[in-house]
Amino acid sequence: MKFKIKSSKVLQTGAIVASLFFGQSCNLAVLDEQVVSGIGNNYLNTTSGFNDGVNAVYSTLREWYGTERGNNFTIFGTDTYQNGADGSHKFINTYDGGLDARSSHVREVWDLLYQGINAANAVIDRSANVTGISDVLKKQRIAEVKFLRAHYYFNLTQIFGGVDLRLTETVAPTKVATRATIPQMYTAIIKDLEESIPDLENRARSGDYGRVTRPAAEHLLARVYLTKATSAAKATDDYAKAETLAKSVINNYGIKLTSDYALVHKEGNEKNEEVIFSVQYTGNPLTNGGGNNSHVFFLMEYDNMPGMQRDIANGRPFKRYKPTLYTLNQVFVNRTDDSRYYKTFKDVYYSNKPGKYNTNYDKSKASITLALGDTSIFDPGYEMPAVERAKRPYQVLTPSMYDERRFPALRKHIDGARADRTQFSGTRDYIAFRLAESYLIMAEAQFKQGKIADAVGAINVVRRRAAWPGKQAAMEITSADLTMNFIMEERERELLGEQMRWFDLNRWGVLVERVKLYNPQAAPNIKDFHTLRPLPQNQLDRVEGGVSAFPQNPGY
Amino acid sequence: MKKIFTKQVREVQDEIARQFSRMVPFLLVWVLGLSPLLSQAQDKAVTGVILSSEDKSALPGVTVVLRSSTVGTTTDADGKYAINVNGNNSVLVFSAVGFVTQEVTVGSRSKVDITMAVDLKTLNELVVVGYGTQKKSQLTGAISSVSAREIGELPVTNARQALQGRAAGVDVNQAGSKPGSAPQIRIRGRRSFNASNDPLFVVDGIPLSGGIDDINPNDIASMEVLKDASSTAIYGSRGANGVVIVTTKRGTAGKTTVSFDTYGGINQSLGRIDVMDGPQFAEYKRESRRAVGNYTNDDALFEPIELESIGLGRSTDYPSTLLRTGSIQSHQVSVSGGTEKTVFNISGNFFKDKGVVKNQDFTRYTFRINLDHKINDKLKVGTSTFAVYGERNGENFNPLGGALSENPLGVPYDADGNLIFLPTQDGLRTNPLSEIVPGAIIDQRKNYRIFNSIYGEWTILKGLKYRFNFGPDFDIDRYGRFFAPETNARRGAPAAGSVANQLRFNYTVENILTYTKQFNQVHNLNVTALQSYQKDDYQTSGINVTGIPATTQQFYNLGSASQVSGVGTALTQWALLSYMARVNYDYKEKYLLTATLRADGSSRFGANNKFGYFPSVAVGWNISSESFLQNARWLDMAKLRMSYGSTGNQAINPYQTQPLLERTSYAWDENAAFGYRPGTIGNPDLRWESSATANAGLDFSFFSGRISGALEYYVTNTTDLLAPQPLPNSTGFSGYTTNIGQTKNSGLEISLSTVNINKGGFRWNTDLMFTRNREEIISLANGKIDDVSAGRFIGEPLSVVFDYKKLGIWQTNEVDEAARFQSKVGEIKIQDFNGDGIINGDDRQILGSAVPNFVAGLTNRFEYKGFDLSFFIYARAGQFITSNFHQGNNSLAGRYNNLDIDYWTPNNPTNEFPRPNVNQESPRYGSTLRYFDGSFLKVRNINIGYNVPTNIAAKLGMTSLRVFSSIQQPFIFSEYRTKYKGIDPEVELDNGNSNGNQGINSDLAPATKIITFGLNARF
Repeated sequence: MKFKIKSSKVLQTGAIVASLFFGQSCNLAVLDEQVVSGIGNNYLNTTSGFNDGVNAVYSTLREWYGTERGNNFTIFGTDTYQNGADGSHKFINTYDGGLDARSSHVREVWDLLYQGINAANAVIDRSANVTGISDVLKKQRIAEVKFLRAHYYFNLTQIFGGVDLRLTETVAPTKVATRATIPQMYTAIIKDLEESIPDLENRARSGDYGRVTRPAAEHLLARVYLTKATSAAKATDDYAKAETLAKSVINNYGIKLTSDYALVHKEGNEKNEEVIFSVQYTGNPLTNGGGNNSHVFFLMEYDNMPGMQRDIANGRPFKRYKPTLYTLNQVFVNRTDDSRYYKTFKDVYYSNKPGKYNTNYDKSKASITLALGDTSIFDPGYEMPAVERAKRPYQVLTPSMYDERRFPALRKHIDGARADRTQFSGTRDYIAFRLAESYLIMAEAQFKQGKIADAVGAINVVRRRAAWPGKQAAMEITSADLTMNFIMEERERELLGEQMRWFDLNRWGVLVERVKLYNPQAAPNIKDFHTLRPLPQNQLDRVEGGVSAFPQNPGY
Repeated sequence: MKKIFTKQVREVQDEIARQFSRMVPFLLVWVLGLSPLLSQAQDKAVTGVILSSEDKSALPGVTVVLRSSTVGTTTDADGKYAINVNGNNSVLVFSAVGFVTQEVTVGSRSKVDITMAVDLKTLNELVVVGYGTQKKSQLTGAISSVSAREIGELPVTNARQALQGRAAGVDVNQAGSKPGSAPQIRIRGRRSFNASNDPLFVVDGIPLSGGIDDINPNDIASMEVLKDASSTAIYGSRGANGVVIVTTKRGTAGKTTVSFDTYGGINQSLGRIDVMDGPQFAEYKRESRRAVGNYTNDDALFEPIELESIGLGRSTDYPSTLLRTGSIQSHQVSVSGGTEKTVFNISGNFFKDKGVVKNQDFTRYTFRINLDHKINDKLKVGTSTFAVYGERNGENFNPLGGALSENPLGVPYDADGNLIFLPTQDGLRTNPLSEIVPGAIIDQRKNYRIFNSIYGEWTILKGLKYRFNFGPDFDIDRYGRFFAPETNARRGAPAAGSVANQLRFNYTVENILTYTKQFNQVHNLNVTALQSYQKDDYQTSGINVTGIPATTQQFYNLGSASQVSGVGTALTQWALLSYMARVNYDYKEKYLLTATLRADGSSRFGANNKFGYFPSVAVGWNISSESFLQNARWLDMAKLRMSYGSTGNQAINPYQTQPLLERTSYAWDENAAFGYRPGTIGNPDLRWESSATANAGLDFSFFSGRISGALEYYVTNTTDLLAPQPLPNSTGFSGYTTNIGQTKNSGLEISLSTVNINKGGFRWNTDLMFTRNREEIISLANGKIDDVSAGRFIGEPLSVVFDYKKLGIWQTNEVDEAARFQSKVGEIKIQDFNGDGIINGDDRQILGSAVPNFVAGLTNRFEYKGFDLSFFIYARAGQFITSNFHQGNNSLAGRYNNLDIDYWTPNNPTNEFPRPNVNQESPRYGSTLRYFDGSFLKVRNINIGYNVPTNIAAKLGMTSLRVFSSIQQPFIFSEYRTKYKGIDPEVELDNGNSNGNQGINSDLAPATKIITFGLNARF
């Protein structure tokens, strides 16, 4: 009997415990999902969510500026750059069919820019209900977002032509998409920029360095009009508008050219007085995202040369982009008055691996002996005779020795501030718009309107700054010198390697012609249809109706 | 099938019998000597002989227990026993596997001889099924079993490995030999694109959330694989991929048994990937320049160290420096026993696998307590608890790929014997030996887990039981990594480290009611009702840093680093609420019916779709019980089974019904400007994926068990596939998870066991397992239209190899034709599949699939006078494999070392591999070089054992002693191995959830041959 009492107690206890669990689990609320470590979509409707949404739209800039895809799409396959030894995207240079609808770059650019566009749409659509922020500031933030949306669409239009023009947030899964016309694209881009200009901060620099201010929007709109002027959407007043906008950038905000061309891209001087808009990168991996990767692509293979090993200051050489002979022999032919050849290309490497070495390209001597810090490689930029080379205690790299591994390396993006020599995520801001380009935009717009003297004046501002000391006058050109061809070369003297050339050539309608002339790797393959990139296959496959609803660009 | 299990138990018994016959005198001495000690409370000695009813032979190993006591013994080799009882009313219980248990009242007798009836037709042994056990004869579902003996035969780390080739319909694949890595299991193929295709593992009644890999295989009593809908429907939501029920060993009342099981041995690599030696590399490098007209002389081409090596004919074999002879060992002590009220089984195990690649090893300590206690006649409680501590080194330490690429003309050491960090001028190629400098790279995972299955059982009335299960599972995992500056990962940059912690708490609570009743002695009814709730809480945290000041700090003081490169924490939770009812009914055990209905509510689905309902029904017919077959002596058993039912799959990540934001990073100057933007679009309509399976099976046994087995045929249709449905990316989203399409699996499974010879003490028996499964996509998002971008094709398996087809190499006389395809002589010639004269994406074709035509396993066992020999052959045929190092280590660019292959030159017009070319990153269409037929036949293991005669064992103080040796994987027969220099074509079927073809890569620790020696001792 005793035992029975005990067991019924156990039983009672068991039943209570069981019913506790049973009771808990019978409640269907246990199946409700609570997002804890993630953030639900409604956050964007709050004050801080609005600000975070704006920040997110900015982050998409980093998917283009300073990335391999942004560089490959603008540097490769032009008249000024051809491919070096390494890399798996040489087909973007050679136009040999490798760049097709399945290429990763095409897909990435598309996907990533549209992520930014959808974020921009979300911020704009929801802003009406956001409280806790002043109207002025809210309008300013929306203006920033509209600038960014316009920029992303402008890029897409230049790369792909008319694309899917979405100006509202995608809130439910849909497979419906169509291609807008070029005029529709420009209408939307210009509307966004025109709406943004009055609401943006009216000064050169925001307190939050890196935010869009009014001159940035004017500069971009000037570029948009210049590009539109040769597009299917062209209007007679495009050049006049471009000129007015560029002039405003030059005159109204106190932005000025740096005194020395070398200062524009000097390491550590990214926040200089010439910058209109730069994409922000930092030295902190937590805020730097993928970083500015431009530092690797333009470098030559110095690290395998006698006396050298890879270090942070000289960079991690991917040897992707090799300047064409046209760049070296024609664009930068004047090196006595114009300082830009030497300020653009790296000419000397100091030994960081001392020792006695057999020479491997400069055979004017059998061996060289180097101490730490001795000159190890010198690239004079001209064909120094062997007799002269023999006198030098280092190897001299002359143009006849250039190949896909050894060539003049661009200085502009070298990044010695990286934490170590393998770090791919660079730390330097990417200078996207700068005043020298405003002058060149203005000059081009003026030239197209027949205002030759004005154009000459604008170009001479840029050229005088580029002169060796005392050579300012020699750098100035006259109306007789100014041709479209001259403008094309002047832009590259000033802006080589700054993610613009492929767009410029297309704007002028000379891509195919100049690539055939000056880029030997691409010349045999380039066709007229190469002025647009293929739309990503994913997009075509996924749209309801496939290619009939969303046609591929011709030729692909 | 279960039949195999029975036979094996009987074999063990026969073995024991033969042993006993040789040790009778010793045994008698032993029994007589010990029994006074054991039997002080008893007052009467009883002896007897036990014979089999079949052939009147003596039955050894029969358990004789005095009812309601802990007194017990077993019969000796002559079937004799002796036991003390306490009076004439004592009842002796005689039991032996395969025989009908008998209870005999002693009465006034001092000698009790009995004849035990063979228990063949009734097949009373129990099979573990979901939420209970069932007599095998009453089973209606398709279930495969693997016994402790089969598990024990292989020195395996992981219980999954024991299923390979042993259970029909179960495809188990392990790639390489990395210690601690787990093989992949697919039961009856794959059906889902995105949701997991992993089966559900249930350990001692509790469905696992964290994986089965921590379970010590030596603790497992049996594993049952539930395959058809009738058996798995009881697990409803998670049964779609099959269920593996693992039952651990529990104690039995009687004498306490102490067991010591141990083995140890060595691992040897079965080969290594063949790359070029120095002279071959030099010539290949020259050829890569000749191809572009760039070769003048060696002095211009090679760097000084290369020239020196060429001159000396010197060559460094880097891969070999990373390999060693590995070792494996396992030591286990178990204590098992108990009284009628309490039984227990305690075990402790130490396991260590030292891999053949340096710095890769796995150590595991497990401790288990299984305890059952009867409070009284109505109440019973118990627990099975195990604790494990595992340490794994080198999980992601993969130095072989780098070593294979390393220039063999370089030298690893300078004249003073110091490592040269950059053996050549190639900045990317650091010395592979620097990776294995002690302390240079640490890659260590520590895992702590406590898993419990606790129950209470209350017999409310006769036949009516309530059971409460509670299964808390604590899983803690710490993964630390460290890279010193002089490693390939850092290439001289400051040291980097990271720590990732994972904390999982999962619990299951179940309330089960069962009712068993027989009506009119012919109707048997069993009803089970269940309510269950499972909740999972998974937290992760991690930090990555660079700039660790001193390499001695490893990853233990990440706060001292100069730069934090990543920090994150996350919480993921899910819950599952289920209700189930099952009815088993049979008429005279002749006509069987099982009907199940389960309702599962999952937190992962949309508010209106939380619950899924999964019914199933199965019928069985014991043909052999029909009166017209009662006299068919050749027929032991024949049973026909049919089942149809549906099961579900919820195995997608939580939170997919909700639109969530994703974080972005940006900065204003140097100030952080983090942001949030739409990341997922969410799908509130997400619902269960469900699989409907029709299964027909036949179980049979002929000639007193000489031939037995099972046949199964099944068709599974899976609908509402949980799949990532792509969206046009211009929406801002790449896709969302939704329910689309349909897949179908159909297959045939054969299990056959035969006793070929059983004569004069010699016994040879064979188990054969054969599986053929066909996977097929029936429809996709847009109906019966291929999704080329995802590589999915109607009528094809879930994943296929879709690429260009290599025809050969363009030969010298084909200059013009090659040019028409923008190719050059010496390059790969691709088939112009659509014949349009250009090669583009449209020329890709389906080349094959990773799904095999069939999988087969064959086990042969021979036994004679205490010796036994078994070998197990495993074959997999018709599958395509992707051998990634045939692409990755085959770039033929004259920079990195390359596979030693037959490449094209003007003087060597081969069609195998293209000409080296310095101007390429990799050969054009190089991906076509990596596809091979992966068919193989492996001798998976050969076991030799000897049961030491008991007299000798007794002298050593043991009741039994077995010594054994095994060789695992001594032979692999495969074209990939013999002709294409691969090591092992065995590779996982897919890439986890993504269904991509899992490739073989060069970093894989090579497959090994393992030779072990061990012993099992019982005290």
